[in-house]
Amino acid sequence: MSRRYTLPQAALALLIALFLAVFLVVPVLNVMYVAFTNSDGSLTLAHFRSFFQLTLMREAFYNSLYVGGMSVVVSSIFALPLAYFTARFQFRGALLIQTLGVLPLIMPPFVGATAMQLLFGRSGSLNLILGDWFGLNLPLMEGLNAVVFVEALHYFPFILLNLTVALNNIDSAMEESAQNLGASGFRLFRRIVFPLALPGYIAGAALVFLKVFDDVATPLVLNVTDILAAQAYFRITSIGIDDPIGYVASVIMVLASITALWGSTWVMRGKDYATLQRGGSSLATRKLGPWQALFAYGWIVLVLLLVLSPHLGLVLLSFSRMWSFTIIPETYTLANYAAVFRDSPFMLWNSLLYCGIAAGLDVAIGTAIAYLMLRTNLPGRRLLDFVASAAVAIPGIVLGIGYLRTFRGFNLPFTDLPFVSFWMIIAFAFTVRRLPYALRSCVAALQQIHPSMEEAAENLGANNRRTVLRIVVPLIAGGMLAGFVTSFLTAAVEISATLMLVSATSDAPASYGIYLYMQSIVGRGPGAALGVITVLLVGLGTYASHRIMRARSTRFDTLQALK
Amino acid sequence: MAKVKVEFQDIALAFGKTEVLRGISLAIEPGEFFALLGPSGSGKSTLLRVIAGFAQAKTGRVLLDGQDISAVPPWKRDIGMVFQNYALWPHMTVEDNVAFGLQERKLPRDEVKRKVAAALDLVGLAELAARRPSQLSGGQQQRVALARTIAIEPKVLLLDEPLSNLDAKLRVHMRVELLALQRKLGVTTLFVTHDQEEALSISDRVAVLDAGVIQQIGTPVELFDRPANRFIANFVGTINLYPGRLKTGAGAMVFESDAFGTLTLPGAALAAPGEVEIAFRPHVVALCRIGAPVDASLIRLEGRVAAREFLGEFIRYTVKSGAADVISDQAHYTGASSFSPGDAVQLAIQPQQIRVLAR
Repeated sequence: MSRRYTLPQAALALLIALFLAVFLVVPVLNVMYVAFTNSDGSLTLAHFRSFFQLTLMREAFYNSLYVGGMSVVVSSIFALPLAYFTARFQFRGALLIQTLGVLPLIMPPFVGATAMQLLFGRSGSLNLILGDWFGLNLPLMEGLNAVVFVEALHYFPFILLNLTVALNNIDSAMEESAQNLGASGFRLFRRIVFPLALPGYIAGAALVFLKVFDDVATPLVLNVTDILAAQAYFRITSIGIDDPIGYVASVIMVLASITALWGSTWVMRGKDYATLQRGGSSLATRKLGPWQALFAYGWIVLVLLLVLSPHLGLVLLSFSRMWSFTIIPETYTLANYAAVFRDSPFMLWNSLLYCGIAAGLDVAIGTAIAYLMLRTNLPGRRLLDFVASAAVAIPGIVLGIGYLRTFRGFNLPFTDLPFVSFWMIIAFAFTVRRLPYALRSCVAALQQIHPSMEEAAENLGANNRRTVLRIVVPLIAGGMLAGFVTSFLTAAVEISATLMLVSATSDAPASYGIYLYMQSIVGRGPGAALGVITVLLVGLGTYASHRIMRARSTRFDTLQALK
Repeated sequence: MAKVKVEFQDIALAFGKTEVLRGISLAIEPGEFFALLGPSGSGKSTLLRVIAGFAQAKTGRVLLDGQDISAVPPWKRDIGMVFQNYALWPHMTVEDNVAFGLQERKLPRDEVKRKVAAALDLVGLAELAARRPSQLSGGQQQRVALARTIAIEPKVLLLDEPLSNLDAKLRVHMRVELLALQRKLGVTTLFVTHDQEEALSISDRVAVLDAGVIQQIGTPVELFDRPANRFIANFVGTINLYPGRLKTGAGAMVFESDAFGTLTLPGAALAAPGEVEIAFRPHVVALCRIGAPVDASLIRLEGRVAAREFLGEFIRYTVKSGAADVISDQAHYTGASSFSPGDAVQLAIQPQQIRVLAR
């Protein structure tokens, strides 16, 4: 085929490639390079040998795998029944379950971790009650299990949402034809429903593993330091930027993330089928029997209580003067909020600034890549998409270490300010970290638009630029907005790259502030207050964007009809 | 409106290794209503996209009134296309959709307004100008797509299966309207369809495509009466087809086949002797009871009714004659006598209705 791209498009692609090279590829390769070479530049595996000779590192490695794997297991226990209820039964809890889905988006686990300690810890509210009544003490928040419990509670919605979508995409004809051929009951479930829904589950599970493996702040807030992310952070910040062990830990984290992603696609290769036909209907739903209803609602209430507990705990903590060894705080105060508004409103502004820049760049880059990929045959367009998406497998800590290493010695142009301590670098880290999500959102939006929409415009005399301006952008504005909001909101609660990159408190975003406060007992109150404010702002943003999106989707419902 | 001649010269196109169009040469006369007919995958829509500029031919040229337009980008071709799915932009009202092409041509505002109103008037949708496409029925959407295209007064009008998304009744109605509109505008029109009835009923001429090759070009009557090959014979209408050998006999041609044994075909020499197929339409096969008088000039066969389909205007019989199945259509009217499966019957065919196709 002939050339189907213009020179400005090629120039744009080059610009994006340059950005990705400087802020993703080179830093990550640099981390790898340091891990695999001696100081004279020769290749070596010696750093890996010394890494595994250190008992602490070996333990950290196993602990990270354990926490990641167990979080998937516990998340599944929360999520599987909920997904099954929504897909198979006539059920009024669907809205509740949707609500469960957005909660972790608006509050990252490290924010609620302290509150969870106060509620479920050895001398937390639950164990105080259990101790008084039954003399029991549940070790929910001990060591690694504390991390697993907190992470699973926050991230199980990834499994829930993916699995629910997968179940809803199964055409009822799939099940009916199996019934018609004699399958029923558990056999029908095992041979038809389960295999068709499995890709959704696997996708969710891989995401949970990635998120947990990547998380450094939650274990640290819970005083767990013997995991990989925390060790990488400590080696670099305490021993120094030249210590190879931190880089080895980084490489192992990247490898584990890639393995999880690659494994999930490998297991599911060629098996992901959306079977719902046009005019088809989803699986038949049944009425709940009385016992089923009791179990279903019981489970939902239990999960909902657990999910809400860090939120409630955080609110209590933010209003408490002092909270320890009591079921709920004994004295209440507004002093924490006063302290936050006195000391750290600039952090909220920083968050707004960094996340705004990151989300704006993400949508611009995401739209450009989506367009190049789906509408041109520019050489290298797939590589661009691949590299941008690959950021998903790079833990924030690793990206942070890569920046510190790569940009050290560089000064900001025309100043003698080191580039690594320039605040924009945090915004760029956010941009790279959130790009995969914004990109997917833009690609999905553009895929929804039949190319004939654009061809019709060209046929009527609009050139490339005019077509993009008058047809493409208005039609994918919804997807772009969704990408912007997701990028913005998730960047607002990002912490792992931030931990590495904040060099002056005055440049710190709100998430860093929360983490910093939570480090000391006296800081918990103000930390909780800042957390509540952040979560409220993020929650409001999520709600507003949902409203806008729903208004748009009803206007453009022909998009569906045309597909 | 100036009428434009469209010519394809030796167009070839492939998607990867799949050859989609192979050596297409075709001339469409100014003002003609021309149909591209073929099964799905025959390349007919691709050929349309070549004229519009959305597909690049590997070799060959497209000429508009003698001028090569192969290097002209789609937006400068002035060739209006109505898409199969209509491609109405959901974020614009009907009026905005129709105005789009005029705005891109930088016409003054009041002229745009006037032309939009005229185009919508022409398709009878003036009162729906403020609606959004999602609020229209399928037939209305189709008219908007048409109005949007004719508003720019294109040199050539391309219609890509324009009626396939409509229900059967509306389809018949719209095709009459489409033809009336085309006659009124006089614009050279190319019309892609896989429905042979649609193509035959409204086109001046038809090109039948299969596997990227033009099988035959002709008026609807020519295609029906003188199919060029087996594919056309089968694709256009229903037909009886039998392979065999044609030989020169005493004063007449003789057709030898496994189906009928030896059959004398009286009358003028039909074709060169050799391996051939004979073909005749079901409605030229007369059916009568055994023993009824049959004109000696007709070809006569005997057989037994094997199946019977009632189709309203006529009854379609499948008659077993020797080793052959012969399809015969008999006009139906109230009170007409009919045959039942198992009845022994005579078949009578006028020799000049038989076509001989080379194999």
